[in-house]
Amino acid sequence: MDGTLKFTATSRVLIQGITNTLGLTYAPLMQAYGTQVVAGVGAGHGGETVNGIPVFDLVEQALEAVEDIDTTVIFSPPYEVLDAALEAIADGIRQIILISGGVPPLDMVRLLRKAEQTDTLVVGSDSPGIIIPGQVLLGTHPAEFYTPGNIGIISRSGTLTYEVALQLTQAGLGQSIAVSIGSDRVIGSSFQQWLQILEEDDQTEAIVLVGSIGGDSEEVAARYVQEAIDKPVVAYLAGRTVPRDQPMGHAGAVIAPRLSGWEEVIGTPESKIAAFKAAKIPLANRPSEIPQLLNKLLAQPLSETAS
Amino acid sequence: MNLLEYQAKDLFRQVGIPVLPSQRIDRPQDIKHLTVPYPVVLKSQVYAGGRAKAGGIRFVENTIDAVAAAQTLFNLQIHGQLPAVLLAEARYKSSQELYLAVVLDQTLGRPVLLGSAVGGVDVEANSPHMKQVVVDQEFSAFYARRLGVLMGLKGRLIRQVSHVLERMYRLFIQCDLDWVEINPLAVGGDGAVMALDGKVAVNNDALGRHPELAKLRFFGTAERVPNLAVDELSPFAEETTQPPPVPKTPVPEGMSLVEMGGSIGILCNGAGLVMTTLDLVTQAEGTPAFALNIGGDTLLGSLPLAQRVATGLEAIQHRGDMKVVLLNLLYGAVESQGVGEAIAPFFKRRDGLRCPVVLRWSGVAEAAAEFPSHPNLHVFADLDEAIAKAVILAYPSVARNVG
Repeated sequence: MDGTLKFTATSRVLIQGITNTLGLTYAPLMQAYGTQVVAGVGAGHGGETVNGIPVFDLVEQALEAVEDIDTTVIFSPPYEVLDAALEAIADGIRQIILISGGVPPLDMVRLLRKAEQTDTLVVGSDSPGIIIPGQVLLGTHPAEFYTPGNIGIISRSGTLTYEVALQLTQAGLGQSIAVSIGSDRVIGSSFQQWLQILEEDDQTEAIVLVGSIGGDSEEVAARYVQEAIDKPVVAYLAGRTVPRDQPMGHAGAVIAPRLSGWEEVIGTPESKIAAFKAAKIPLANRPSEIPQLLNKLLAQPLSETAS
Repeated sequence: MNLLEYQAKDLFRQVGIPVLPSQRIDRPQDIKHLTVPYPVVLKSQVYAGGRAKAGGIRFVENTIDAVAAAQTLFNLQIHGQLPAVLLAEARYKSSQELYLAVVLDQTLGRPVLLGSAVGGVDVEANSPHMKQVVVDQEFSAFYARRLGVLMGLKGRLIRQVSHVLERMYRLFIQCDLDWVEINPLAVGGDGAVMALDGKVAVNNDALGRHPELAKLRFFGTAERVPNLAVDELSPFAEETTQPPPVPKTPVPEGMSLVEMGGSIGILCNGAGLVMTTLDLVTQAEGTPAFALNIGGDTLLGSLPLAQRVATGLEAIQHRGDMKVVLLNLLYGAVESQGVGEAIAPFFKRRDGLRCPVVLRWSGVAEAAAEFPSHPNLHVFADLDEAIAKAVILAYPSVARNVG
């Protein structure tokens, strides 16, 4: 990933799984928001249309008909996600957003090997996708919570992204982009990839990192912020009081050993809070504190916050 | 989902990993009809690890000893679990014991082969003997041989161990495992290898495409320990793991429940929201009774939000431990339909909710729903205010002191 990826109102978007419940629900909403949904794929539904969007049996056929596709949003059920994504990659699509949750981890392993070989960006799985307020919706974010602006949100959780967006919108802080990187155990793009993209994005003045317990992506991200990010970053961490070993509903949000018992337990709130502190990233105690912390950082000259 | 040892060994046998002749014992009297020749090892079939140290493994020389040992084992709790079955297995003389595992590293997004030339009950994660090889690209046997060499194996043993690892890896992929472990893999006097104990965990998200494995769920302990959350018992952390609390509420399909033992019942649509709500309640010095996640919007085939809210409330409404219910629902216009109507009956029905309910929603006009008007229902758009109200309702006296 080179940080120059652009999702804009002119991006040409494919929806795979457009004829299932999620696809039928969200395709019209994405369109209504201004997203250029140029085609859909639903095997066995070739020749139909969904809200005026032509549906094809294969990605290949969709590409023949509409020529150019920048991004595909995959609403296929979890056990079909790997196949749908591999089809998109085989046909040359290099930006893939995976909405469904519960994709088996070993399917993600296969997909990520392929994605790395082909330099494909994979967002998710278990993700409401990406929204650029006022421009483009690539997924299921409730658009009415968002307003255009200069704060970038990167989050591991779906509903928590909405919560943070809502708090920012109510505080008068619009958003340049909100990305949910996914809540499944093995996911595609990481916090640091998005930090890098937002660091280079002219629209983004400050970044909110919304983490949760489980895994070590917050620790890695905190170190990356310290090394490579000059823009102000505020963090929030969910699950500080959650008991260990409890399934929260996110496959990725469990405090557990990284290697099934053979490494020190990772994913504890203590470790994440310490990492944010070490990187001098202000940590909001609650979602409603995020706007205050942002305002404080934005009021300072850049050189101070980047020290 | 963890499997019991004998279930794991059935899988080992299927893929050609060498295991000893063995027999499942369902009742103490079955031991009289043993087909495995003495001397025999009797092993308690529980999910918890640390079995040997807890006395769950007995060596017996004859039927009289075996009957007595079986009776003892059937009544011996190991970290809160009673076995429903035992495994009777031939004894094996080993000259060396190795450790082997295939696990998934979620940070790397890759499977990892683990191995130690010093296996057995005292195997340690941080031991310098523990070696690992990341399976970066498509698996091939050379990854297994690399591990063998790293482990310090020599000669014929390199091939024998890599042979077992290849089969473990095949099982790992075919059955969508979170991990498979053999400890110990015994090296016999004749140089042959034998899997003496094995642990297998199937990934929960993948169970839907492995019906034959899903059937093994809870087998053996279900009758004695209802609702035991076996998935969450790490077979490694047994020394510190307390048996999980038995859920008071059956968890509806597709939802997840965390029991906390306090007095505020929490219901949210999404795991992130659950985590934040738990944190905020605790910060406000409230104590959550439980948190029910009725699921976010990325689950294909899940019911509309209104139905999930109704199902969730249905599941928790008769719990006696909650003094207040805190509904934190964050949804957009597309999901808003019927949410108000879904809540209303719980205030009208005689057998409905008796405690106060604090409902928090986005307050954004497009997502508006018609909420019922009832003295027991307190509606907020502000999250912090909703939390504060829930805590006040749960602990009126404390709240007065705090002000």
